[in-house]
This record gives sequence, structure tokens and C-alpha cells, in this order.
Amino acid sequence: MMVTRRLSSQPAATRTQRSLIPAQAGVGLRFQHHQAVVDERPEVAWFEVHTENYMGGGTPLNYLDSIRRDYPVALHGVGLSLGSAEGLDLAHLERIRHVVERFEPGLVSEHLSWSVVDGTYLADLLPLPMSEEALDVVCKHVEQTQTHLRRQILVENPSTYLRYRHASIPEWEFLATVAERTGCGILCDVNNIYVSACNHGWEASAYLAALPPEAIGEIHLAGHTVRQLDGGYTLRIDDHSARVAPAVWALYGEALARFGPVPTLIEWDTNVPPLEVLLEEAAQATILLERAEKETRCANAA
Amino acid sequence: MPTLHELQRSLRRSIVERETTAAAAQVIGDGLTPAERLSVYRNTFVSSLTNALRLCYPAVHRLVGADFFDSVAQLFIQEQPPHSAYLDEYGAEFPEFVARFPPAAALCYLADIARLEWAVNRALHARDAQRLELELLADVEPIDHGRVCFVPDPSVSLLRASYPADIIWRAVLAQDDAMLSAIDLTEVPVWLMVQRLKTGIDVIRLSEPAWHFAAELCAGRALQDAIDAVPTIDAPALLAEHLAAGRFIGFSVTDVAAAAQPLGSSP
Repeated sequence: MMVTRRLSSQPAATRTQRSLIPAQAGVGLRFQHHQAVVDERPEVAWFEVHTENYMGGGTPLNYLDSIRRDYPVALHGVGLSLGSAEGLDLAHLERIRHVVERFEPGLVSEHLSWSVVDGTYLADLLPLPMSEEALDVVCKHVEQTQTHLRRQILVENPSTYLRYRHASIPEWEFLATVAERTGCGILCDVNNIYVSACNHGWEASAYLAALPPEAIGEIHLAGHTVRQLDGGYTLRIDDHSARVAPAVWALYGEALARFGPVPTLIEWDTNVPPLEVLLEEAAQATILLERAEKETRCANAA
Repeated sequence: MPTLHELQRSLRRSIVERETTAAAAQVIGDGLTPAERLSVYRNTFVSSLTNALRLCYPAVHRLVGADFFDSVAQLFIQEQPPHSAYLDEYGAEFPEFVARFPPAAALCYLADIARLEWAVNRALHARDAQRLELELLADVEPIDHGRVCFVPDPSVSLLRASYPADIIWRAVLAQDDAMLSAIDLTEVPVWLMVQRLKTGIDVIRLSEPAWHFAAELCAGRALQDAIDAVPTIDAPALLAEHLAAGRFIGFSVTDVAAAAQPLGSSP
């Protein structure tokens, strides 16, 4: 287990690569809302988009060109497959580099997962076995990515629905070690911690407590669904289909108390509602962020 | 304990080929069966790729209905899963899969619609390119005009359909039943060109000779060779139209030896 401090003493501005994305609430921008954002210029601190949606040409890029003139933008990749045993897909890495160079995002992130084997993309963020071999593979690929992009990336903890028999490292320790060895940041998805903790009987607060506060570059929040299975068993599915659950808001409060104010994103991908709903969720995050900001100021003054 | 690569291969077999034995042996049940846990990932794989195909082939989806579309999509996904997360490129082989799919044979024009939708999808996502500046062409000596080879805009594609795929496609997407029932389905080929314009996707019909001329030019053939291949056309007028519509983004002048050797020069 990593040795961690109770509370980050670093003011947010000095943390790595946070300069362009403010420690405020942003919204995951989906195609449905391109026009509304361009027309209405809503009051939101920043936007994040999926890197894979801007790898070609045409309309999406024109929208993003326009939107990034007024808002900081972060890139969030879903397909680099940092945990692939066979190595990174260099063509995909190069596509990411093109998008990064074109849009100059404030943050670039990927996932602690894998999705490609034998040249087949399995269209999901698949869980890694928490083994020394997997740790070495992920660290090598994070380093390769940071070298290729010539910048730090953030790595996000996934939601998982299964665990492997041969797992020697707790996920939180695995993630902290990747950050420590490679110098990458951590994208702490609070909903994913909650979902995985419920699915596997982990202690969500202990997960948060094991992450190094100085490495946390961003937080994600989203809604999930509860699936009832035979035998009274429930499985929480991270489908980004709803408002953030009350228990996840509570865990987010814990995360901010521990990490200080961190750029926070509202994600919604299934049955995407009108932009107003996402702005309401962002406003809720803003209340908690402002409280954390005040507490950090008090702690620093003390 | 399997290596990471072995484990990932067993997951692939479970997710794509539905052979769960090897993967299930590595998964902790913990209240569920390992197969139930693995099925969560298989469901995501199938549903997200089916959704990607549905977005790419909306007219095919409307023509065959959701249930039929989902079943043909699932067979296609299992047979030809994607190679990368850049899913805008996924589904190029779907039209030929549909053409070979016996239950789809009742809709004779379905594969044509699918081919048109793939051309539209390609055009939508093609990389941005600057159109050819005509002043650059003006610098070419008149004697060299026949040796000019054009580079087409990445969004341009040409396709031949056995049925009036363009009219059917528009009627289906507009959900215009009156227009759809008025379509003459006599098997007469139509010659189509697809291109992305600033205003949207353009699907236009060409005459058969004009289509062949455009196809020669888009394949990078020298201008004189394209004219020789389709001698009946009004080449200057057609070329002017292509240039005005921004269908080319560059050109080169082939050397005499590589061209059709009109001067009888030795290689």
C-alpha cells in the first residue's frame, strides 16, 4: 500500500498540467449538444470530448474548433488499450497525436484497462488482471504514450464486473504505482470507484484514501444503473445513463476533502438528456467544489 | 496462471466467439457464474458495435426493421469485428456481407443502399483537405495538360448501383412512403458520385460516360488517358465542373516515359 498524506497541502494551481483546465465543473460534450453549445454558449467552465470522435474530418471538427475558442477542452480516449499484452496500436497512437496537436487540450486521458487483442478491438474497457506482468505492460505503454505525445497523460480507474483468480495487487495500489513509476496523473472516476466497490465488496473510502492526492488531475462523475440478477444478486452497470447517484455525490465530497478542488466532469452517454440537465449536474458539483476551495484556503491559512 | 496475452485471447474467444470455457476458468464467480460476469462485456461489445452500424446504415435499418438489422449486425460483428477504436472506419465490409446474406435477398436493392450509405459515411468522416487552387493549374504549360494527374478530395467516391439507390435512400430517410412507392424498380444501373460539401453530403447522378471519366481521374490517371478512355464526352466541360466543385485537392505532371508515350519515346 502506498503511504499517503491525509490532505493535499498543494494548492490546485501548482499541480501538474492543471493550468488550462480550471478546478471547476465541466461537461462531457456529445454530438447532440454541439449546436446548442455553439448557439447558446452556456455557462460551464470547460468541456471534455472523446478523442476517437475527432479523428476524421468534417462537421465535428468544425464544431470543436469553434467551441474551443471559448472554452478549455480536454481529450478523453477510450481506445488506446494501455493494457494490451501485444503492444500499443501505433496507428491509433498516431491518430491521438494528431487530435492532440490540432486541439491543444488542457488534459489528455486514457483508461486503466485493455480492449485490443490480436488486432481485434473488443469495444469495451476490459479489466486487467492485477498482476506484476500487467503492471509492467501498463507502465511501459503509459511511458510510450507520454513520450509520443510529449506530455503527461491521466489514467482513469475503470468500472469492473469481474475479478480474475490470479490477482496479487489491489486496483488502487496498481493505479498509484502506475502514477508513481511513469509520472502520469490519475483521473479519479468516483462513480467507477463506487460501482466497482459495490460489485466486488470493496471499501470505496479506502480506495480513495489509497490514491496519492498530488497525482489526481481530474475527477469524473456519472450515473449508473442497478441490474437485479437471479438469487437476489445485484450488479451495478456503469452506463452513464442517469444523474449522479446520491451515494456517489457523498463519495465525491470525500474525494474533494482528500484531494482539494480538482477539475470535475459530468459524463452522460446513454439516452443523453438536454444540455440543461448536464448543466444542473455541473452546478451541483460546483457547490461541492466551492466548499472544497474554501476549506483548502482555510487549511493553507492555518 | 496464464500470461496476460493468453488471458486476453481467452477473453476475445468469450466475447467474440462465445466460447467461454477458458475465460470462465480465470474469473471469480462471487455470487454469479463466471459466464454471467463475462456476458456483461459481450453485451457491451455487441450493443456498441450494433449501434455504430446503425448510425452508419440508417436507411438499411429502416428498410429491414430493428430486429432483422440487429440479427444481421450481430452475425457481421462476430465474423468481422473491428480492428481499432476508431469506429468511424468500421463497417466497410457490411454491404458485401448484406449482399451475401440469404434472408436479405428479398430486398433486391438492399446491398446497393448499404454501399451508398458506406460512401456517405466515408464522405462524412473523410479528413479535411484544401481544394486545388486553380492558379496553380494555370502555371502548367499547355503542352503538358494531357499529363496532369489529379488527386481527388478524400470525401469523393464513385459507385454504380443496379437500382435507383439514390432515390430510394432519400425516400427512406425522409420516410416518404408516397415517393417510395412511386419508384420504378426496373433494374437499370445508376452512376453516382458522393462528396462532402460545406453544406452537407452531396449525392449526384452522372451519365455513364461522365462517371467513367471521373473514375479515371479519381484513380490518378493522366488527363489525356482519361479522355482517351471515354472519347465521347465533353472533357473540358466536365473537368471544369469537377474543379469548380472542389473535387480535386492537388495534381502532378507525369513524366513522358510514365505516361502513355504519345510521342513514341522509348522508356
